[in-house]
Amino acid sequence: MTVLGYLANGLVFSSIIVLGSIGLSLVYSIADFANFAHGDTMTIGAYAALVTFGAVGGLGGAVLGLPYGFFIALVVGIVAAAIVAVGTEKFIYEPLDIDSIGLLITSIGIAFIYRALIQIRFGSDFTRFDIQPLRPIESLVPFGVRVTLHDIAIVGSAVVLVVGLHVLLQYTDLGRKMRAMADNPDLARVSGIRTKRVKLWTWVIGAGLAGAGGVFLGLFNQLSPRMGFNLLLVIFAAVILGGIGSVYGAMAGGFLIGMINQLTPFFSDVVEALPIWPGWLARLLESLISIEYANAIAFVIMVAVLLVRPNGIAGEASS
Amino acid sequence: MSRDATDLTDRRTLLKLTGGAGLVTLSGCLSTTDDGGDGSDGSDGSDGSDGDDGMDGGDGDDGMDGDDGDDGGDSMGPYEIGMVDSLTGSLSAFGERNQRGAEMALGRVNEVGIDGRELSIAVEDSESENQGGIAAAQKLVNQDGVPFLIGAVGSGVSLAIYESVIEGTDVVQLSQNSTGLSLTNFPGLLRMSPSGRSQSLALSNIIAEDGYDEVAVTYVNNDYGQSLTDAFVNAYDGEVVYNSPHDQEQQSYSSVISEMNSSGADAWLFITYQAEFATMVNEAFSSGYEAQFYGADSVSGDSVLENTPEGSINGMKIVVPSAPIEEENYQEFASAFESEYGRQPTSWAAYAYDCVINAALSIQAADEFTGAALQETVRRVSGPEGEKVTSFAAASEILADGGGPDDVDYQGVSGPIDFNEDGDPVGFLQVLEVQDHAYEGIDFVEG
Repeated sequence: MTVLGYLANGLVFSSIIVLGSIGLSLVYSIADFANFAHGDTMTIGAYAALVTFGAVGGLGGAVLGLPYGFFIALVVGIVAAAIVAVGTEKFIYEPLDIDSIGLLITSIGIAFIYRALIQIRFGSDFTRFDIQPLRPIESLVPFGVRVTLHDIAIVGSAVVLVVGLHVLLQYTDLGRKMRAMADNPDLARVSGIRTKRVKLWTWVIGAGLAGAGGVFLGLFNQLSPRMGFNLLLVIFAAVILGGIGSVYGAMAGGFLIGMINQLTPFFSDVVEALPIWPGWLARLLESLISIEYANAIAFVIMVAVLLVRPNGIAGEASS
Repeated sequence: MSRDATDLTDRRTLLKLTGGAGLVTLSGCLSTTDDGGDGSDGSDGSDGSDGDDGMDGGDGDDGMDGDDGDDGGDSMGPYEIGMVDSLTGSLSAFGERNQRGAEMALGRVNEVGIDGRELSIAVEDSESENQGGIAAAQKLVNQDGVPFLIGAVGSGVSLAIYESVIEGTDVVQLSQNSTGLSLTNFPGLLRMSPSGRSQSLALSNIIAEDGYDEVAVTYVNNDYGQSLTDAFVNAYDGEVVYNSPHDQEQQSYSSVISEMNSSGADAWLFITYQAEFATMVNEAFSSGYEAQFYGADSVSGDSVLENTPEGSINGMKIVVPSAPIEEENYQEFASAFESEYGRQPTSWAAYAYDCVINAALSIQAADEFTGAALQETVRRVSGPEGEKVTSFAAASEILADGGGPDDVDYQGVSGPIDFNEDGDPVGFLQVLEVQDHAYEGIDFVEG
């Protein structure tokens, strides 16, 4: 496989992580706590889409190898994740009225509840969307790039969502209010911004993106009750790498972590090809840079970046 | 003010009155209950048996007394044994199969009873992880005080439980589904499913017979995957050109698949679990890679067939520990299982079934319900000596007629059992080939 091939794989995987990490960072910046239920919010989106797709079916035509029905399912997945997150905020996080550590611990419990509910309804086995898997696009195979139309659909949809969020944050009233609130919630409140309403919208957007990420993760891999939670550690790494609380940082961090994860085989090829001296160092590097440590390598790079920029890629000089 | 005071008095009076009335009503209730209690034996009886339950939990010797007496059987609570199962986590498919098998076995045991008492199984979830398994076993052994523990599914989990909870105690541990090789090194840890070493040998022979002199292997990064792979590498005559572990429950295995493809081998061997394997197949399919697939038993299952594209694994060969499906007792088990659950049983359900029957027989044959006594009988009731019987009812009858543990040789639905000195059973293997996206048995191999 060529570098291009690994880069293409990395792009697909990054798209999913970016969708997850934006929501996590957004909620952190405005609701002010690290939401451990975020991964399971992704799972909810995926399963809601699974049920919807099962109910509506393909609906005739298809775009990029995906039936029309799947896009309806995607929307339902986004909406379902948003509704569940807003409901949780309204009925649990808001009435609790505790500090951010308390909320963090609560969110771990919420994550277990989400997962248990999904397990009760769907069992603990894995499953897939009833969509015929595709073979790689023939015209790209000579370049060593083996991606399917589904992969292109994942990347394309992620780009649309990310650009949409960018437009929302930069050019709309709600976006300005959200940024104001992220900067200084008290000042935002005395300037007449209805902070509670903005907070709810933040949950809608963050959870909606997570739901979309979950649906794509299901399409890319498979659905299982632990799918989101298993990805959560990587997503947290992406958010911290980008600078927690920064949406654009989360995009960059998610992209980088996904890329590193998928580029590990390439790194190990490079290490093998390089004339490293002395020999023991070469052997050590060869045994360490190998795919079973893909996540560990991503975390080492994260630590290295944080040593240079303690607040992450997009973090400000002082917090 | 005065008005308020009056109100207050009124309220007080009212409260007094209500309180008095309430007391009268309550006392009425009390006396009624007493009368009723004296009148109906039923409620007294149940109180009595509750007391017995408490005694059983507190002290195994009390259970023994009842056992020896043989007459007070009806009033005794059930014999409680423990089971650690993968109800959730990556091995939950095995856990579900185990639960069906164990439930059926429990039904059959309790139709007959053990010296007039019932058997009950306290099931705890291991979450398919070592830590969860240890916590579950600690709860069962240290809090519930079970002398017999069935568990666990994953070999790593079984070993972790044995080393941190069971070793050094008298408690009997019988793993229902572990096939990891290192369990053989722990004679105190029994298992119902045959060791994976036989699988590794069979796979190396099959791959060599099919004419491949190069193979790429990927295995799940735990004790099970590592030990099976090591045994395979030792046994295989050709060259292992790629040999790399992967972690469980990752969201992408495309690196593994592309490295296997770059290795140039035409035969790919997967020693991993169903969910991981299904992901790899899908990624190989959508990357357009072609190879002859081989797999250990843990990669086979309906969920793999349901979640991989039609035709993507045709021709794949898998070696699975197999129940003796031509034997009469297995066929009887299979048809009963099918009418109960509407599906064919797997070997994994059969192993769990035999675990429960074996446990029940060892309890009946033992002098007392303690770990030390069960250690004495657990191997002997299904060992090669004694009259061969194929059901709990028949075996129980011999024991009830005064037979000792050596007078019975329970032949399980999963095989003859016959634990050897390492605690491993005699088993045999079936070679499956995927044809038209379904598993077809093509051969049997002695284990």
